[in-house]
Amino acid sequence: MDEKKSEPLACTRKKFLQSAAFLGGSAMLSPIFDRASGLIGEACAAELPGYELNNAANYISSVCLQCNTGCGIKAKIVDGVVVKIDGNPYSPWTMFPHTDYETPLQKTEKLDGAICAKGQAGLQTAYDPYRITKVLKRIGKRGENKWATIPFDKAVDEIVEGGLLFKYVPGEENRQVEGLRSLYALKDPGVAKFMAADAKKVGKKKMTPEKFKKKWREQLSALIDPDKPDLGPKNNQFAFVWGRLKDGRGDMIKRFTGDSFGSVNAHGHTTVCQGSLYFTGKAMSEQWAYDEKENHVKWSGGDKFFWEADDANAEFILYSGVSPMEGNYLSYRAPRISDGVASGRLKFAVVDPRFSNLAAKAWKWVPNKPGSEGALALGLMRWIIENKRYDAAFLSNANKAAAAADKESTWCNASWLVKLDEKGHPGQFLRASEIGVAPEKRTGAGGDYEYESMVVMKGSSAIPCDPYNEKTSVEGDLEFSGIVNGQTVKTAFLLLKESAQEKTLEQWGELCGVSAAVLEELAREFTSHGKKAVADIHRGVSQHTNGYYNCHAMFTLNLLVGNYDHKGGLIKAGTYDFRGDKANGPFNLKNLHTGKQSPFGTPIIRNEKYEESTLFAGYPAKRPWYPLASDIYQEIFPSMGDAYPYPVKAMILYMGSPVYSLPAGHKNIEVLKDPAKLPLFITSDITIGETSMYADYIFPDLTYLERWEFHGSHPTIVQKVMPVRQPVIAPLVETVTVAGREMPIGLESMIIALALKLGLSGFGKYGLDGVDFYHQDDLYLRMVANLAFGEKSDGSASVPDASPEEMELFRQARRHLPKSVFDEARWKKIVGYALWPKVVYVLNRGGRFANSSKDYEGDLASNKYGKLANMYCEKTGTTKDSMTGKKLHGVATYVPAGLDCLGRPLEDSAYPLQLITYRRAQHTKSRTVTNYWLLDVKPDNSFLINPADAGAAGIKDGDLVKVVSASNPEGVWQLTDKWAKPMIGRAELDSGMRPGVVAFSLGMGHWACGAGDVMVNGLTIKGDERRSRGVHANAALRVDPYLKNICLTDSVGASAVFYDTRIRLEKAG
Amino acid sequence: MKTRREFLKAVPEVVLAAAGLTVLAKAAAKAAGVGGAEASDTMGRMVADLKRAMAKPADQRRWAMGIDLRKCIGCEACTVACRSENKTGPGVSYRPVLVENTGTFPEVKRTLTPKPCMHCEKPACLAACPEGAIKRTPDGIVYVNYAACKGVRACIPACPYEVPNFDDGGYFTDNTPAVQAYEKAAAYEMGVKLARNKDGKAPMGRTRKCTYCFHRLQSGTLPACTTTCIGHATFFGDLNDTDSLIFELSVSSRMRRLKESEGTRPTTFYLV
Repeated sequence: MDEKKSEPLACTRKKFLQSAAFLGGSAMLSPIFDRASGLIGEACAAELPGYELNNAANYISSVCLQCNTGCGIKAKIVDGVVVKIDGNPYSPWTMFPHTDYETPLQKTEKLDGAICAKGQAGLQTAYDPYRITKVLKRIGKRGENKWATIPFDKAVDEIVEGGLLFKYVPGEENRQVEGLRSLYALKDPGVAKFMAADAKKVGKKKMTPEKFKKKWREQLSALIDPDKPDLGPKNNQFAFVWGRLKDGRGDMIKRFTGDSFGSVNAHGHTTVCQGSLYFTGKAMSEQWAYDEKENHVKWSGGDKFFWEADDANAEFILYSGVSPMEGNYLSYRAPRISDGVASGRLKFAVVDPRFSNLAAKAWKWVPNKPGSEGALALGLMRWIIENKRYDAAFLSNANKAAAAADKESTWCNASWLVKLDEKGHPGQFLRASEIGVAPEKRTGAGGDYEYESMVVMKGSSAIPCDPYNEKTSVEGDLEFSGIVNGQTVKTAFLLLKESAQEKTLEQWGELCGVSAAVLEELAREFTSHGKKAVADIHRGVSQHTNGYYNCHAMFTLNLLVGNYDHKGGLIKAGTYDFRGDKANGPFNLKNLHTGKQSPFGTPIIRNEKYEESTLFAGYPAKRPWYPLASDIYQEIFPSMGDAYPYPVKAMILYMGSPVYSLPAGHKNIEVLKDPAKLPLFITSDITIGETSMYADYIFPDLTYLERWEFHGSHPTIVQKVMPVRQPVIAPLVETVTVAGREMPIGLESMIIALALKLGLSGFGKYGLDGVDFYHQDDLYLRMVANLAFGEKSDGSASVPDASPEEMELFRQARRHLPKSVFDEARWKKIVGYALWPKVVYVLNRGGRFANSSKDYEGDLASNKYGKLANMYCEKTGTTKDSMTGKKLHGVATYVPAGLDCLGRPLEDSAYPLQLITYRRAQHTKSRTVTNYWLLDVKPDNSFLINPADAGAAGIKDGDLVKVVSASNPEGVWQLTDKWAKPMIGRAELDSGMRPGVVAFSLGMGHWACGAGDVMVNGLTIKGDERRSRGVHANAALRVDPYLKNICLTDSVGASAVFYDTRIRLEKAG
Repeated sequence: MKTRREFLKAVPEVVLAAAGLTVLAKAAAKAAGVGGAEASDTMGRMVADLKRAMAKPADQRRWAMGIDLRKCIGCEACTVACRSENKTGPGVSYRPVLVENTGTFPEVKRTLTPKPCMHCEKPACLAACPEGAIKRTPDGIVYVNYAACKGVRACIPACPYEVPNFDDGGYFTDNTPAVQAYEKAAAYEMGVKLARNKDGKAPMGRTRKCTYCFHRLQSGTLPACTTTCIGHATFFGDLNDTDSLIFELSVSSRMRRLKESEGTRPTTFYLV
């Protein structure tokens, strides 16, 4: 016991020590303990024990980022060090019900919310001994892990100006690297805007390349290929790519890449998580809406989003391919589910080939064949439709007025008539003009235009239906098939019915590996709770080659009971605006950029229509195009490898590790290690990770405990929210000076320095439209101010001012932060004196959160989706697959899982087992292996295998086994020419695995992130063996046999496929 | 580590708390509705219960912890929260969660059992310690007096629940580029701010165990495992307070104690 350290304790203790006159050392502890335990009289107890961690002066409220959930946290600090993290009671994520927003800070200091094991261990992410703190430059070959530290300014200079940057690396002596400056080719946004329109015409064959070249002859040198102007300017050969990105930082990256640099290539990682789920949400939420740029009405405005269940009020939930007691917004969902089961309010079934912790609590576990989730939903729908157990009133509502009359906020197009082509394939909806009803003349921002209505049948007459009409209610018949004015049509509902009747219940059951009786039982239960029954889905449904159709079938099941926006039904997320858009101030960020670029051209991930490109050359395309998706992570590096649609010359990767995270991520290495394929590769990372080990430069980043972000929400969260992540400790990275201002190295300083060096608009002097933008706080604090001000332009929706006591606590809690991070005078000046106490109010609470009393309005959620949800998706139904040339289906349809990009089944019969992945509650995919407290809970992972399968393969519990597949028969990660890491793990016999299916949990088996040796400035830093334990088997996941350098992919929703690979486990050693 | 089955084997007896029959009946009726009173803010209620308890002299309250096994989701947030709160080093864990899988496909079961100290009324560890270093507070917290503990470790085999662990002085970041400051930061066990930063000095070289977060209770905050319990499975309070949630739960017919036959009379109980 250190006597000096004990000094700050309560005075009673000091007095006691004096009177007791004990010697130092541990002997003195005895009486103190006795007193503390209550033996010394009650009077002292109140002053004991000097516990410092439930005092608001000693913590900062922020937001976790150990996974993507975004739980509110209290980061508790002693002597400038975060020593404990707990939940923030203002956040609905961590306390149920959460504390009212208006509660004074002091009243919540003794209250801790609940966060998971990852959140509790989060300080180990910041205090990782393997973190990098200075910019590293490669001095060996890509992937050799030989580095030198380099001054920040020099790195920025080299990246911008290029040159013989790696002349000391064998083989690269004469390699001239093009810097960003030479890629910043097209600089005039006015020119770009008009060029873009013409380039698009060339793609659509409405203008010849010759005519284009003549018209734009002065500018042709700025284009990637003047004969293919639709590819866009050379600016597109710079790409900014990210893994986990949240708003704020997202605004920074998009501003830099698109608005300032003029590249269309700013792409995220969505498809590795649940892409097909997001893009099913987008397809289902497309609206028949006026497009001001094109001055006509089209299907547009679909949100990249999805829905989830209202766990706190549902009576029955069919969880499929989702495990909210291990992942999937765990801390918000698990208490609601747990309480619901304990009280008897909630009954649920779990569709999952693995017996998850959720399945362990279920009324019924349904261990299906992976990839059969759509078949299961179609089976349920067949029974529901044939037994007329659907909500016919909801489904018949064809427009907004009809929905409103039934007190519904949403409606669908079940009753709309869809036209069939000569082969009987459904395409567009029948338009009102096709039954002789003239389109309505309307005027929009782009001029006069015609508004077409849709058509429904009512009895024997076809009647027009304006989906958004609020006065004239239109209800249509659900089942109609016939000829209307010469057009063969069917209702969307009938198309669904036919799709569901494609197979008998027994056949559906067989596809799922589930009995027809179970399907019937599920269908009956699902339709026995009104709108408080819901099908809830996630990755297990979407990460298959048929992911989009699985998701669409499941969400269509929800349409049959009409549970959208209902309390206990399907919920969408709602967030507070922090960009100043809704209130048009106080800082409307979309206007705070003079000279914004107009990027144009084909993105490298090709999320456009193949048929409208100059690259169109019949079917199959060289690589797939994805007009219904975006952020197609797995396509980035393989596309670069094939230089299709064009070569990329420089890339920055932020907080992502595609090599580790993607299925068949090892194929990325072949591109990354070759400077000819990607000449300049920069990463922003906190360690030398599995992907950043191939970088040319690594910029150290700030961890989530050192930075700003606006975390947003998730579909299962009913409250309107905006959690704010803010710096809680002094950055552990090097501090640098950019334009005379001190700041830590991190994503922001890297971007700002690059932008200043390049002389881009939107940064530096008057970068924020008359206001300077030199420091991250210039942007982020204005965002906080917008959030505090609220969404009403008169300020009536603003938060209260922080009280003088709260202002003081705010200062106290930041007493350890350097001025480059927190400087009250500087901060106050940025947001203005009037808003400052409101900004403090928000920051003291870790964001803005609506009170739980506002969760619902009657039977409906307050955050409403509130519009048309498509049972039939016209945009999908009129799109062709770029590889097969076949038309896609607009309605939920059965498509088998496990097809290659040409739609062919895989021939992997030599491999008897199917491999799936899962997540344990203690780990996030690529970044929690650095947390020793989590490794202590369980030091490795294993291959979970049913004892019968193990027996057949002669495998015993605990045996070391190697995983092999048709596309990785060696079962290795080929990391460099010399380094191959075999995929060997422990077999764990588990009766909770469906026979024929093997699972491993993600997050283990690392070789970088501190797991392997690296050399920096000539010194070898030994890796930590604990980080390499267990197995990471992503390299066994199937490579597409046609494309050969990418994982299997859902051609519609673009999901990277994790669950359709056949493997064999071989005994190793 | 023993499986949960071995632990729960000897648990069939239902032991009701010593309370008046009328109170008992009333509370048992209420208990049926516990958790049934959903979103009834069980955390808020426990905070209020704690406040009442702390207003009383120590010898008039009786701490207890209840863990609802139906609600435990096996996330191990409690395990890590406890480690962070009490700065336990490698090899010391106050609150592991035991996982037991039984049955054959598809008829399988999983039981998740968090296992903190049982804070026995008749602690076997206390009786076994030759130095008299293990004590019990008037309100029922069994703790190790680090000053008296000589690391003899007689308590470890004596405890039927395998609770005490020996702190061998290591850090998780040993053998990495740098041992990190948070590992040397102070815990506040039993109300004493004590940094774990010196070789051989307490708490290193001592036997360590759960204190029901005495230091948090003293300053008005529930134990770390309880506040961070995502499944809402952990309950804490004063058994002597018949209005408290913990009392209600303790008289439930679902209440079980581990290894009653050992005669240790645990105050930590389970709801099965």
